[in-house]
Amino acid sequence: MRVVIADDAALLRQGLTRLLEDAGIDVVGAAADARGLLELVERHRPDVAIVDIRMPPSHTDEGLVAAELIRARVPGTGVLVLSQYVEAAYALRLVDGEQSRCGYLLKDRVLDAEELVAALRRVADGEVVVDPILVDELLARRRSEGPLDGLTAREREVLALMAEGLTDRGIAARLWLTPRTVETHVRHILQKLGIPADTAVNRRVHAVLAYLRA
Amino acid sequence: MQIVRLFAGGTRTPGWWAAAVVGLALPVSYLAGSIHNGSLTGRSAYFLLTMTVGIGVGLWAWAWRPGTHMGPLMFWWPALWLAGDLPAAFPDSRTASTIGIALFVMGPIAFAQMALSYPTGSLMRSRLAWVYVFVLGYAAQVVQNGYNLLFLDLSACPLCPPPRAPSWLHVDATPPISLEDWNDGWLVFVIAILPIGLFLLYRAYVRANPAHRRSLGPVVATATFITCTSWITSYAVLTDRFSVLTPISWLQTTGALAAALTALIGIAVARRARGPVGALVSELNRVGPGHVRDALARALGDPTLELALRLPERGVWVDEAGRELTLPTGRERAVTIVGDDLAALVHDPVLLDQPALLDAAGSAARLALENERLQVELRAQLAELRRSRARLVRAGDEERRRLERDLHDGVQQRLLAIGMALPRLRRELADRAMASALVDDLEHDLRETLQELRELARGIHPAVLVNEGLDAAVRALAQRAPLPVGVQTPADRLPGDVETATYFVVAEALANVTKHAHATAATVTIERRDGHVRVEIADDGVGGAGANGSSGLAGLSDRVGALDGRLLVDSPRGRGTRLVAEIPCGS
Repeated sequence: MRVVIADDAALLRQGLTRLLEDAGIDVVGAAADARGLLELVERHRPDVAIVDIRMPPSHTDEGLVAAELIRARVPGTGVLVLSQYVEAAYALRLVDGEQSRCGYLLKDRVLDAEELVAALRRVADGEVVVDPILVDELLARRRSEGPLDGLTAREREVLALMAEGLTDRGIAARLWLTPRTVETHVRHILQKLGIPADTAVNRRVHAVLAYLRA
Repeated sequence: MQIVRLFAGGTRTPGWWAAAVVGLALPVSYLAGSIHNGSLTGRSAYFLLTMTVGIGVGLWAWAWRPGTHMGPLMFWWPALWLAGDLPAAFPDSRTASTIGIALFVMGPIAFAQMALSYPTGSLMRSRLAWVYVFVLGYAAQVVQNGYNLLFLDLSACPLCPPPRAPSWLHVDATPPISLEDWNDGWLVFVIAILPIGLFLLYRAYVRANPAHRRSLGPVVATATFITCTSWITSYAVLTDRFSVLTPISWLQTTGALAAALTALIGIAVARRARGPVGALVSELNRVGPGHVRDALARALGDPTLELALRLPERGVWVDEAGRELTLPTGRERAVTIVGDDLAALVHDPVLLDQPALLDAAGSAARLALENERLQVELRAQLAELRRSRARLVRAGDEERRRLERDLHDGVQQRLLAIGMALPRLRRELADRAMASALVDDLEHDLRETLQELRELARGIHPAVLVNEGLDAAVRALAQRAPLPVGVQTPADRLPGDVETATYFVVAEALANVTKHAHATAATVTIERRDGHVRVEIADDGVGGAGANGSSGLAGLSDRVGALDGRLLVDSPRGRGTRLVAEIPCGS
């Protein structure tokens, strides 16, 4: 797998490059800002671009803007955004649209090489990845009463994994269930919450996240 | 006694004294000559009286209106008119004839000049009026009178009206044009130009502003009357209808008397002017600050009046709203300073004719004006305080953003870099169990630190507020609260200052709900209406929260106040807390 990295902190670029190369991933370039990133993507056509959400000049959401540009200019490129923010609004912005192949991970994930690489592979395979901490926070939200109360413990587990972007097959593998069982859970959950069923993985993630946030 | 008092005061120049001598000599000699020559009739006595009154009023006005040409003009028209009629008192005197012929009709022309230049005494504002008076009036009349000085001689006609004696300039020669033809031609010329005078008077009246019209009205009316009688006289002479001349002469003299008397009354009223000032004093007691200008405008009868107040500390003039202004210097506006550089009245120059009124009004309004100035100064200081508070809040927000950025881009990046080095350290220490356990602890602490850092940065300044707006930021706040929070926000973005203030109001309020309210649920409602953003955070907790007790609420009050908004806390014990902020927010 070939990736490019964009992060304005040199320490992080180096650390990340070394970490990925140790895991056998081909880092074909590293940039310090969004413009350099776009050049690298257009030149190397990587499978995935790993993008820091904060980059010059304003250090706020340049990474998300860059992600949109990459998708527009080189469709099919996966984008994994590393973020400092546990904010559903940002994740929704990334997942929105027709393309999958994207991920919104907290930057702390660079400390877990295996998780990071697993997420990278999922993005490269066309899936969607949403950081579990963000999903936890959304699910932990106190509601006086609501449709979530009607879910069984197992169904809540499945819902969390749906929000993290896992496919039915991924969920089945994670929970040691058969794919048929997972399908049934998913159908029940969507029914109970009134979310329209959609086969496109990114649209399903978007719908679930939006539902949890509302 | 009254007359003496009226003449006391005022300003007298050598020119005035010379005029006074002429003004005394003319009526005396006219009267003496008429009696001596037995030519005093009821009509000429009436004429003499009228012109004498006119001369007196003119001299008085001259003394009271230094600085304008109005005083001299008011003196000269009756003086010239009377001098032009001297031959009637001395029908056979060549000296009287010389003076009379030379000044023939100069009086009415001077009257026209006075009327058309009222109240400034200057004709510079209208080119047509200038041409009418100086070219068609004085210059043409000099030519006409010069011809008669040279050729007129009625000494052989004892029944003709004066002047019967030839002038001292008379030449014994046949005129190139017969005197009859010449004078008929002149009459036709006069008949032709007098309507121009009527038009000019009408136009001057229409163009004047209301305050101006009040004093211009009598002048225009009498001038119109005299112009019309002059036209009828000229037409009657031209067409040999002599029978109408006597009644017309009575009428014309009456018009002149009316002109002199209205001028007299006008000046007397202006000098006294106790009425409007008395009303001003009582009105100033009633009206509040900000209305002194209106009261003064009414008292002075000048709706165009502007008020300027002096701010000595800043050395500038300002209007009642505190806006800086410069005093005008042109002819169109006049400036009267009140008090010792306390205030300035910028008014129509017509009011300069009433210095006593201006003076009295200024004195009467002095206290109110000082009040007004204090108010303006206070308002200016208040506005500056507001701006300074807004600047402080904005600087604080800027500082928060910078801190958040430093935490994320400095501290966090370094911690992450350290964390990424730990696995390699662990590999190096693989065979030493104690060291490896230590690395595990370090890594655990590091993750905790990173999480705390993330939350700290978010509390200092939420990046999502800037990028995604109030709705996203408030939903995130509600999401993290340990109790159910219903959220209702407008979808569209608000101005940055308003969003930031609103966000911190919600954040602080929800923090208070969490800490103190013992509530089971809360709601956040943000809505836009009538140019305001209204934020309400309500809970079902124990209540009893006070706006004064909490430093957090005081800070919020400052923040909202900096945007001219207000913060209300309604927290009856045992019945929940409702915190409402209203912030102005232009569409």
